[in-house]
Amino acid sequence: MSGSEVSRPLWHRLLVNRFTIVLASIALVVAIWNAYIALHDHGVVEGRVVDAAGQPVEGATVVLWVLDFTTFVEKTRAITDVDGRFVIHGNDSHNIQIEAEKIGVGRARRVPVRLYFKAEDVRLPSPLVLAGSG
Amino acid sequence: MHRYPRWPIHLALLAASFAMLVPFYWVLKTSVSGENIFAYPPSVMPKAPHLFYYVDVWYYIPFARYFLNSVVVSAIAVAANVVLNAMAGYALTRHFAGKGVVLMLFLSCMMVPFQATIIPAYLITGKLGLLDSYLGLALPQCSTIVCIFVFKASFEAVPQSLIDAACIDGLSEWGIIWRMMIPLAKAAVATNVILSFIWSWNNFLWPLIVTRSADMQTLPLGLARFLSYQEDTTGALYAFCIMVLAPGILLFLLAQKEFIEGLTSGAIKA
Amino acid sequence: MARRGRGGRWRRTAEVWCLLAPSLAIFLLYRILPLLWNGVLSFEDWSPLRPAHWIGLENYDEMLFDDGVFWQALWNTLIFMASAPIGIVIALALALLVNARIRGRDIYRTIIFLSYPLMTVAVAIIWRWMFDERVGLINYVARSLDLVDRPIQFLNSFNWALPSVIAANTWQMLGFYMIILLTGLQSIPGELHEAAAIDGATGSRRFWSITLPLLRPTLFLCFVIGMLNSFTSFDLVYVMTGGGPGRATELLITYIYKLGFSQTRFDYAAAVTVFFFVLLISVTWVANRLSGRDAGAMRLD
Repeated sequence: MSGSEVSRPLWHRLLVNRFTIVLASIALVVAIWNAYIALHDHGVVEGRVVDAAGQPVEGATVVLWVLDFTTFVEKTRAITDVDGRFVIHGNDSHNIQIEAEKIGVGRARRVPVRLYFKAEDVRLPSPLVLAGSG
Repeated sequence: MHRYPRWPIHLALLAASFAMLVPFYWVLKTSVSGENIFAYPPSVMPKAPHLFYYVDVWYYIPFARYFLNSVVVSAIAVAANVVLNAMAGYALTRHFAGKGVVLMLFLSCMMVPFQATIIPAYLITGKLGLLDSYLGLALPQCSTIVCIFVFKASFEAVPQSLIDAACIDGLSEWGIIWRMMIPLAKAAVATNVILSFIWSWNNFLWPLIVTRSADMQTLPLGLARFLSYQEDTTGALYAFCIMVLAPGILLFLLAQKEFIEGLTSGAIKA
Repeated sequence: MARRGRGGRWRRTAEVWCLLAPSLAIFLLYRILPLLWNGVLSFEDWSPLRPAHWIGLENYDEMLFDDGVFWQALWNTLIFMASAPIGIVIALALALLVNARIRGRDIYRTIIFLSYPLMTVAVAIIWRWMFDERVGLINYVARSLDLVDRPIQFLNSFNWALPSVIAANTWQMLGFYMIILLTGLQSIPGELHEAAAIDGATGSRRFWSITLPLLRPTLFLCFVIGMLNSFTSFDLVYVMTGGGPGRATELLITYIYKLGFSQTRFDYAAAVTVFFFVLLISVTWVANRLSGRDAGAMRLD
């Protein structure tokens, strides 16, 4: 019997070897990621709409487009409040586009937003700028 | 001992390593920024890297399903390999009537590559009703001759006195194999696990032939289908490549020593 | 041989056969039986819808005299096989370099070997893209170095397709050849080199007179592996070019697959398989004979 291998107890050999450690780390990362997803997947998209001068626009219509196979289709709409903010619920996709428009002020071009997982809660980093004349 | 400068050797080896690694880097770069698909000239560092191609791959194709299929089939193949090959290897260390015939049979089977048998193997699997099933995918890979001989050599190195002592202790044949021989033949087991895992994980032709439905496909098949589906107009294909290669590379880096030793001993005994 | 006398010889023989049975069953089912079935099928005219009837050598007749694709596939396979020595020579150079006592040789060894255990399908996709005419790296380098004016359509040209596939295959196999050659190099006793050095032999003379002859069995092993690999390189060709353009990269094995599973001509495919197998065996036998004369003959001067 090879002597060097009976020196460590069995449970030690099973736990403290590179395979177990690597597998355990991967499992841990996967668990943490899934927990993060579970906490942040309500499908809420928030953002602001401003006009060309940077002033918040109230009452602008914001449209959410989601990827359906190979094209984008309109999913839902929202209206901005006094501060130009809008909150859209019910996004269930990972690849969306946001568009805003207010008659008389202008429209913002469609902004593509890529998410890390479906229905990720996201707050748009920069406001949508309404440009041109409606 | 001759003294010769070391740096030309390092230079040459660095050049070789560069040549071996450049394809990986290039694919990695494309998978994080799709610029090389359409832009020319390509740039060395990725501009504006992002991970969204990986997200695309995850949702666009049933990666988890393919991965699961590959894992299940490989697990069956590896487990069956270790058990069956150890049994056969042990049996070949004993003397019995017809041993010569069996040895000849095994040696001649080694000469028949899997590719020469695909059509009848497909028909046989069909007749057994195993088309499009995990067992059908794993069955031809459940035993390899090279590993049988590796086990045989390993077992033959066990001194007879130990075997006799085990007999006196009342161990049956089965007990001898599993309680005594296998723990002494760890290298052979590692070789067997590595070789059979690699062969079944990377196997493309057999799953291509045997699977009929999309959700029984294994990872190599999923990758090839994605290529024909999407052509190369998106960085997602290369993200898929990286996702497929990552487990293989990780496993290789973890088990390098066993890997290399297993392959060389397997090849040389062949 | 003091074996336990429980039950006697018959019982022991039965036990041994029980141990052998599962493996034997697998090989009988998936190696021997298919071989025989191929042989029988190649002489028949059969489709899954009709019963078989014997047609003698008609399949072989068609294969050898009427089938241009077969000859093209055969030719491609032979070229593929003949390219194995290129890879082996490069791998030998690498093995000699890695064998030198330098720091970090294990890292170099790992990096060079990295390509072998990978999924060939992924390797095929990577190289398919490297050879791409618009944005592939190879074309980019060639144009940057002013070797060519316009990009070369590697995988779409009749001349460049097969060499491209061979290049990709060599890239993948280099590591494997190198590992085997390393093992062979390390089994040459150092005393031989030292003795020759004392006798005044230069490095290159030592290489040609000592190293190379002693490496001959290993080199032939590499060649046999390379030959086997070129015969069975289905994954790489199928994903990289699909056998095209036209039939420029069609190998015997891809042709067999297409005959059997695209055209469902199982009987004809069986005939091609028989030829494929006979060719494989012959080449292996020849290689064995050529190396068998020297294997084990370590002449120590």
